[in-house]
Amino acid sequence: MKVRRQAWQGWSFVAFPLAVLLLFTALPTVLGAALSLFEWTGGGEARFVGLANFRQAAHDPALWNALRNTVLFAVGTVPLTILLAFPLAVALHAPWFVGRTALRTVFFLPTVISIVAIGLIWRWVLEPSTAGLLNVTLTEIANLPHTLGLTATRVHPDWPQWLGNTGWGLGTIVAVSTWRGLGFAIVLYLAAVGNVPQAQVEAAAVDGAGPWQIMWRITWPTVRPMTFFLLVTGMIGALQVFDIVLVMVGTFEQRSTDVLNLYLYREFVRSRLGYAATISVIVLLATALVTALQVAWRRSDLEAAA
Amino acid sequence: MNRVNRPALLPRLCIHAVVYALALTMLVPFAWMVSTSLKTRDRAIAAPPEGSKAALLWALPAGGPREWRWRNYADAWHAARLGRFYANSAFVAVTVTLLAVIHNALAGFAFAKLRFAGRRPAFALVLATMMLPYQVYFIFAYVLCAWLGYIDHFQALIVPFLASAFGIFYMRQAIGSVPDDLLDAGRIDGLTTFELFRHVAVPIVRPALGALAIFTFMASWNSFFWPLIVIDSGDMYTLPLAVAALSTATYSDSWPVQMAAATIITLPVIAVFLVFQRWFVRGIALTGVKG
Repeated sequence: MKVRRQAWQGWSFVAFPLAVLLLFTALPTVLGAALSLFEWTGGGEARFVGLANFRQAAHDPALWNALRNTVLFAVGTVPLTILLAFPLAVALHAPWFVGRTALRTVFFLPTVISIVAIGLIWRWVLEPSTAGLLNVTLTEIANLPHTLGLTATRVHPDWPQWLGNTGWGLGTIVAVSTWRGLGFAIVLYLAAVGNVPQAQVEAAAVDGAGPWQIMWRITWPTVRPMTFFLLVTGMIGALQVFDIVLVMVGTFEQRSTDVLNLYLYREFVRSRLGYAATISVIVLLATALVTALQVAWRRSDLEAAA
Repeated sequence: MNRVNRPALLPRLCIHAVVYALALTMLVPFAWMVSTSLKTRDRAIAAPPEGSKAALLWALPAGGPREWRWRNYADAWHAARLGRFYANSAFVAVTVTLLAVIHNALAGFAFAKLRFAGRRPAFALVLATMMLPYQVYFIFAYVLCAWLGYIDHFQALIVPFLASAFGIFYMRQAIGSVPDDLLDAGRIDGLTTFELFRHVAVPIVRPALGALAIFTFMASWNSFFWPLIVIDSGDMYTLPLAVAALSTATYSDSWPVQMAAATIITLPVIAVFLVFQRWFVRGIALTGVKG
């Protein structure tokens, strides 16, 4: 009797939230995966085409290009963020660092700003004309010898189109994306760095280890679970990169910066829903594959350590 | 004792220099945004005069505050009808945050503290949906919204977010730490299950609720992809959509007006962030709980 009452009560607590998840996430996922086997414009009949969409995808150079850029973006952003965030977190955690509380706030700032504002601001900073802040700054740096009176003439270097269809495009987006995500990684690392046992640090210091060695030999191994977490979630997030490219470049196809989700979005807008679903399944498979590889790598890593 | 792990003076200075330089790159774009927003269009796109000192002056808006072009703000506000979209964004974000936090807490409480048939498979569903990238489900989430007549209405921005897998999971973890003895005591005192939730569990997990609320609010306020898909007409835009539209519309050639718009949507967020920083950071650190 009591169990039955609890069943009724339990479901009354979870029914509505579960219905939301079921209707707007679980069910659409199953249908979306199924849709990859169909051709559908959103209205009228869907036509079953088997694996034709996947065959088309395999021979679609634009899709391969987008996949390549997406992977390069992930491989660029994630390690760069981790390798910058960890030392910064160690410094901003150290009692001897002057102004660490204020700087934590500063580094975290870009994380809370709307991506649209980020896009606007950076497009203006990267403006390719002579009024672009980055170009002006770089020109002044290049002219430092002249300013100091070492050379007679000023130089006027041609800076690249930072966001154009050149080799720079993707690199610029990686840089801005790292700039934006850094504070997030620092906050997570700060929590982990705080958990390093002080006794261990002191023992190492007594044995003559310097701060640098302590950072890499003691702190870094201790925060490994956090590094792993940032790596996995960072990779998953990076494979889904979309809005930063949209606000910096636009939705149109620019070869050097096109990514999977932008391609997916264009197919969706053009009502080619079957093919869009196929791309989404490819994103899902790539995500699952990367995650599985990382978990397997970590497991062997842990077993080796044990 | 803290001195054990302190670098020598020179390295310490270098570390400070590098970290402060990096911190500067975090701030400069925002300073540039504000500075540009107060310039005339011609001044903004003018190349700097030669020489570093002149370039530093060029970076600032002309003269004193009286000569600054405050009109850019009025132009941005009216052209992009930011007042209207502020209201839209605020309404959506507040509604989603209030309701989603309540729903997630209710479900989290049930999963943590109530025994009922089907609890395990139901929770497995929550965990499974937490891992899914949105690309795989947005198409049919859109189709469903269209079928329900939600497209171009606030419902499309609110209903799908009334509960979240991550929120449920997080609240389950938080409420799981509430001692069972406390709940049993409440039960003996004759509290109903809902009263146990409301008067025993909720007061204890208030910090977690606050963190989840901030996290949810930020996600909704800054959300871009989904509104882009389900909102077509100008009146229903959220703030991010409106500002994005501004850069392709009337003032697409005026960087100062665009920077004024960027400032208008950025400064309140920075202000709220500075006031509630603790909660923000905890909200962000939440995602670390996922792992």
